[in-house]
Amino acid sequence: MLEIDSLRVVAGTFQLGDVTIHIRPGGCHVVLGPSGSGKSTLLQAVLGALPLIHGSIRLDGVDLTQLPLERRQLGYLPQQLALFPHLSVRENLLYSARARGLSAAQYEPLLARLISATRIESMLERRPATLSGGEQQRVGLVRALMGRPRLLLLDEPFSALNESLRRELWWLLRAIQKEEQFAILMVTHDLAEAYVLADELTVLAHGQVIQQGSKTEVYARPASPDVARLFGVETLYPGRILEIRDGLATVAVGSAQLLAPVPDRISTKILVSIRGEDVMLQPGPCPATSARNNLSGWITAIRPGTPLSVIELDVGFPLTALITRSACEELGLQCGTRVTALIKASAVHLIPLT
Amino acid sequence: MHLRICTIVTAWMVLALYGSLLVALGWFLKPETIQHFLTSERTLFSIRLSLLAATLAAGSAVVLAMPAAYALSRYRFAGRQVIETILEMPLVVSPAALGAMLLIFFNHPVGEWIQTHWFQLVFTFAGVVLAQFLTVLGIAVRLIKTAFDNVPAELETVARSLGASPSYAWFTITLPLAWRGILAAFILSWAKALGEFGATIMIAGTMAMRTETLPIAIFLRLATADLEGTAALIVVLVGLGLSALYLARQVAGKSLHA
Repeated sequence: MLEIDSLRVVAGTFQLGDVTIHIRPGGCHVVLGPSGSGKSTLLQAVLGALPLIHGSIRLDGVDLTQLPLERRQLGYLPQQLALFPHLSVRENLLYSARARGLSAAQYEPLLARLISATRIESMLERRPATLSGGEQQRVGLVRALMGRPRLLLLDEPFSALNESLRRELWWLLRAIQKEEQFAILMVTHDLAEAYVLADELTVLAHGQVIQQGSKTEVYARPASPDVARLFGVETLYPGRILEIRDGLATVAVGSAQLLAPVPDRISTKILVSIRGEDVMLQPGPCPATSARNNLSGWITAIRPGTPLSVIELDVGFPLTALITRSACEELGLQCGTRVTALIKASAVHLIPLT
Repeated sequence: MHLRICTIVTAWMVLALYGSLLVALGWFLKPETIQHFLTSERTLFSIRLSLLAATLAAGSAVVLAMPAAYALSRYRFAGRQVIETILEMPLVVSPAALGAMLLIFFNHPVGEWIQTHWFQLVFTFAGVVLAQFLTVLGIAVRLIKTAFDNVPAELETVARSLGASPSYAWFTITLPLAWRGILAAFILSWAKALGEFGATIMIAGTMAMRTETLPIAIFLRLATADLEGTAALIVVLVGLGLSALYLARQVAGKSLHA
């Protein structure tokens, strides 16, 4: 169990504020944030490359801050992988065992298992420079795991790869983690990566934690406009709560009104957050449905895409819908088409602004 | 096209400038003269002295420069900027002034105590080595620092995360990746020490068969208007220096990952 409590770190002029993160064994916690938010600083502090100003880091009850980097028993895979260029792949993989003075009997079973899982048998005698990006990632991952870490620190290790290779490595990582039961603390600015790998998320901006929680909660209910923008919410529009009744708030948005769950913190000024995939479109008037928000309007722009097309609407405020290309064609949607936008009340998230 | 031709012609002009100096030596060189000078005991002594002193000076400079250059490359600490500036002193202060500073130091009570209780440096072989060492130390630190700068610090961090102690990481990762740069630094320092004159003559004087390095031998031959002997010694010095530079270029030019 990793317990980071009230961590504060200063790196040059940058200050990372109170960060508390707990990760259970076998869990994956992703720290998400834009460049300069303090993600890598956090990782460097846990690694031991940066001193703490305040707070504690405990791994399975052991205070890591009292241990030098080499005795923290962490796996670390940086963005640039840092494979040792003068050593063969095999020598890279055995570096940890040799540094710790382990015998072949102690490391061979793990080495064989990881080599087999990552399918790198054929490249053991090659130098890292001769490997492709995906091969280097797999070698880096195996090398980081050869020290039997209880915590694996990943600093955007898959960012340089193409989409299919990244997905392949995500599943490989989770499969190995399931087998070896180490915890993962990963930093990334990639939403898809965060969503696939994370159990829990921490969102950082300007060195401060701006939201923490399960990935579904953070994804569905961003706590601030920054988080909503980071998570790519398509519609963010200011509104005003008119009344609250039966656990639902009636919100004035532009010239329209919406029903939405009451936010945790009541504020008259709010930002309405609606994901494009939560908006359904019906050409013309709409029959009665269970969706509480039926907004009449017309299409102002269509941006075709695969598999989803982006439909811009005017329903009294600018609203964005994401629908499949085939649905767009079947419904005969065009610019100027009158439509009804259907949004369940639970899909409308209100972000208090003050 | 004009730019290409102009720049290439300029490059050839540079070569011609130095080449004409070398060709002019040939005017005074006759095979039997070269053989006579190069086999004379005095010339052989000067060559041996120069090679030994340059090797000791460059070797000592590299040994001292390695930890200093590593600290300058990796750490931010008090006085770092001052040290970097002082190390550049031999590049901006004339060797003669540096030698004079040494001589003044050994006339200072601390210097006199060192000479009395440790070893004699003024007008000795040790003085020659010390003068050359001080002249090349700054260059060695600067070149070796560049070699360490070219090794990403993250490699060491990863090595340590894999269980390596700082010294194990240094010997297994940093040193193997920087060794070409360190070797090139040694060769260039050696070549610079071999040709060192100003500081050497100040601290070690011009004592034949004692402190007469090749540059000092050239100076002494020229002082007696012995142009043939001067030319022969210059050929030896230039030959050794250019060979060292070529070797350094070969060492430093090879890819780290070849």
